[in-house]
Amino acid sequence: MSIKEYRDMQKRCSSCNFCKWIPFDKVKSARFAENCPAQAYYQYNAYSARGRFQLGLCLVNDELKPEGETQKVIQSCLSCGACDVACKICRYNLEPYEHNLELKREVVKAGNELPVQTKMAESLKEEHTMLIGRKMADRDAWARGLSLTDARAESCDVLFFPGCQYAYERPEEARKAVRVLQRAGVKVGYLFDQDACCGGRMHQMGLQDSFEKAASANIAIWENVQAGCIVTPCGDCYHALKRRYAQLGQKKPVLHLTELLDQLIKEGRLTFTKRIEKTVTYHDPCHLGRLGEAYEPWNGHEKKIRSQIVTWEPRRPRYNGVHGVYDAPRDILKAIPGITLVEMERIREYSFCCGAGGGCRDVDPELSKWTAGERMEEARATGADVLVTACPWCVKNLSEAHSGMEVTDVLTLVCEALEEGE
Amino acid sequence: MALDRNVYAKLQEIVGERWVSEDPVHLETYRCASVQTASHYGPYDNRTPVPQAVVLPGSTEEVQQVVRLCNEYKIGFKASTTFWAAAGYVGDDNSIQLDMRRMNKWEIDEKNQIAVMEPYAIAAQIQAEAMKHGLSCAITGAGCSTSILASTAGWNGGGPSTISMGNNHDNLLGAEWVLANGEIVRLGSLGSGSGWFSGEGPVFSARAVLRGGQGMGGDMGVCTRIATKLSPWPGPDHLPTYGDAPAYKADLPDNFRAYTICFPSWDAWARGYTAFYDNEIIYLGHRQFNMFGRDLKAAMIKIITDPDKQLADLNWLLEDPETQRQNADMKIDTQIVIAGMTERDLAWKEAALDEILADVGAHKSEMMLTKEMVDYTLAYLIRMGHKNLNYVYAGSYEGNMAWSSNVFVDAEWMETVVALKKKWEDEHDYFARVGGDSGLGSMTRAGGGGSTGFEFFIHYDGSDIHSVKGTRKYMDYTPIWMKEHGFGQDLGRVNDTARREDGYSYTQEEHNKLFYGTPSAHLMKYQWKMREMMNPNHLGGTYYRTLDPDYRPDAD
Ligand SMILES: Cc1cc2nc3c(=O)[nH]c(=O)nc-3n(C[C@H](O)[C@H](O)[C@H](O)COP(=O)(O)OP(=O)(O)OC[C@H]3O[C@@H](n4cnc5c(N)ncnc54)[C@H](O)[C@@H]3O)c2cc1C
Repeated sequence: MSIKEYRDMQKRCSSCNFCKWIPFDKVKSARFAENCPAQAYYQYNAYSARGRFQLGLCLVNDELKPEGETQKVIQSCLSCGACDVACKICRYNLEPYEHNLELKREVVKAGNELPVQTKMAESLKEEHTMLIGRKMADRDAWARGLSLTDARAESCDVLFFPGCQYAYERPEEARKAVRVLQRAGVKVGYLFDQDACCGGRMHQMGLQDSFEKAASANIAIWENVQAGCIVTPCGDCYHALKRRYAQLGQKKPVLHLTELLDQLIKEGRLTFTKRIEKTVTYHDPCHLGRLGEAYEPWNGHEKKIRSQIVTWEPRRPRYNGVHGVYDAPRDILKAIPGITLVEMERIREYSFCCGAGGGCRDVDPELSKWTAGERMEEARATGADVLVTACPWCVKNLSEAHSGMEVTDVLTLVCEALEEGE
Repeated sequence: MALDRNVYAKLQEIVGERWVSEDPVHLETYRCASVQTASHYGPYDNRTPVPQAVVLPGSTEEVQQVVRLCNEYKIGFKASTTFWAAAGYVGDDNSIQLDMRRMNKWEIDEKNQIAVMEPYAIAAQIQAEAMKHGLSCAITGAGCSTSILASTAGWNGGGPSTISMGNNHDNLLGAEWVLANGEIVRLGSLGSGSGWFSGEGPVFSARAVLRGGQGMGGDMGVCTRIATKLSPWPGPDHLPTYGDAPAYKADLPDNFRAYTICFPSWDAWARGYTAFYDNEIIYLGHRQFNMFGRDLKAAMIKIITDPDKQLADLNWLLEDPETQRQNADMKIDTQIVIAGMTERDLAWKEAALDEILADVGAHKSEMMLTKEMVDYTLAYLIRMGHKNLNYVYAGSYEGNMAWSSNVFVDAEWMETVVALKKKWEDEHDYFARVGGDSGLGSMTRAGGGGSTGFEFFIHYDGSDIHSVKGTRKYMDYTPIWMKEHGFGQDLGRVNDTARREDGYSYTQEEHNKLFYGTPSAHLMKYQWKMREMMNPNHLGGTYYRTLDPDYRPDAD
């Protein structure tokens, strides 16, 4: 797609501004009703999906260029997809999330990617990770000493795909994840020197070529792997694999770690031994939740019926956000003895982003930090002791908000309740 | 054209650098392309002018200073809040846009049933907070993403709650108002320092001046705070919803009922409406789902209440005999919600409803009696949180054949108007073919039973120039038709001179021609005098409708 192909969609946005709010049926208070961090923080219309449709139309008409303040606006999108869910409460023929990504690609096409993005792309190409400064040679260090199946040579039940955060920054947690799965009798495979970054953030930032190169390389390797499914503990990787890789032809089933753990708990293959007397609240990672819906292939075209009703032939898949991973992490938490789960106001498909989405930690750190603070305030309002989530990016960004509230992930609590130590 | 550097620097000084911008990306995103938005009041196939700057004030004092600066330099200004109305965008080249969204504070006075709010406390927020106090607010048919303040002071403000709670302007209990010359006026009891309990004094009333007939349209200064009357809400402090997006539904509390009433004729409809009003049995009432059109509504209701369905399912649903039967049943329909304050109250209202239905030969739609349907109807009407379904077909709609009149007059004309629209639908492909009747609107007003606020929806595709131009032809034709048939002003008629090629709002000369000889001429003359007195520099556009008292058509 190119931005020009979005012209009709841009003109069909009706400026209702629903994209600035969580679905209205879900509003529980005035305080936590907004859904778009960029809009809420910067306030100008341009930051909303509505504004982005307008500025997109200006790009198509050559009235704006993807540079300067326009570029800043475009790149401030956290690619969290909250606008998409809100828009689709009433509209069946707009795709604000995809449009926002296309805008980011326009910036890149115009040669205006930011230095930090270039560095990340270089790192991805050379060291197979977007974490600048990390080396490919160290990538599998976390796995040393674990009796992992070498998926390069042997078949396994699951191929463990840790993602860069777990591989480099949370190695202990990655080890625990594997041990817990093994304890439940799962044969866990790993690719060692062939394990690499998913490239998902490149996609979220509009660096599509870099993303597709990384994805194609991974897909080619996985074709030779004999595994029942691929399992990742990372929300970002999950979206990349489940939705975007599938679009590029990847066929193996993909599970988030919480989905597998939930299944193992329900099958009685994992039994908790320790009580954890804590009240927790669960933060839905955007890329695991509303953006975690599986890819559905479609090859069709627009068709108007009854003169001016815009529809599709054949019927087009509709990503509403409701079929993401929401229940598995919650069911796990509820299964841990002693834990009380209390919900925040914005949850599930209308959850509020942690601030790390869309590469904004690097591209717009000010917005990213503010967003995390905002989310932690909502978490604190529940009265919970701990915020729990299921994506290492969320853990990192929310912890750095220094709210005074503990931030952890589901896996950590599972290990604690299983008394799974080092 | 860039703003005078002095002016820009002063704006920065007033609101802080962060909250003023003249970057093209911000200016361009404060333009209304009216084919995409509140089209029925605005210019048509072009965008509104580019503002000179966008300013986001944070307080009444900042607003005052900005307005004074504009007067000093004779620069136009336009305040807008939630941007549903084209009237909220600047109308000429030499103007700045005020986006009021930083002013979003609110408070609720439970004992006195009052909410005090700044502009960007939107209806959804106020209602969620009010419900915690057993109260609710009137929400315009435009839905809860709009600002209550804007609908109260700035624009129309009628919707499903009108029958029990009044239009937004009926509920105004005072306002803090920065006049167009920069003076701050506090209306009603607020002005005498005695709080917000009354919009009519002690001290100034001036409620009618603030709003005028239709609303000040951003032409008469900037409203920075209002108080609005709240109404009893006999439901839970939060109305939980269930179901998957987008088909959320709200469990109907035991003391509520939600029905779609089907009338055998328009005459029965009119008699039913007046009886509903006279007996005070309705909490929410709107002819709502007919916005999808007479032929399509049952199928569309099935689509929007089922998360797995979409517009591509429309054709097969239309061929389904069961859906066809259900659709025919609700040809002349309306949606209502009844709320019982007590068990006895509910029983009485139910009995009264049944008696009225028997009397006029109406019945409850069977299709709409299932749990899912009543739950959806309640969720829809209570906050109008799905209001953008207006635009569901292709993104744009126009409203025409609008009337705010006696239901018995409406009843006589309905089928004639339906036939006219259907003829255009059948003969052309400009707008969606929905069966002619797409009339929607509120059910009588709190201040006067027997009147409706009705309009017909025309669904067109703003990205398709053929559709845009054809719709425009129809919109230009209907006011002439209405005039020939003795109707008052139509939304379309008000619009047609506004829809000039340059897409700007209209001039005084155009207003004069438009309003001379209409039933509301005196009101327009009165508004002319008010505007001359209060906004002598005309710094706000021309949406506040005026007729020059000295105008004579032969002078043209
Ligand atoms: C699809 C659609 C459906 C609609 N349905 C209905 C309906 O059922 N009933 C109904 O009554 N109306 C309806 N309208 C019109 C509607 O009333 C207005 O669009 C809405 O109530 C007010 O819009 P808003 O709250 O977004 O305010 P805005 O668009 O922000 O403003 C509305 C007007 O008020 C002025 N204004 C805003 N804030 C201030 C302020 N602080 N001080 C001074 N002036 C201000 C603006 O300049 C503008 O002229 C509909 C409009 C659309 C597009």
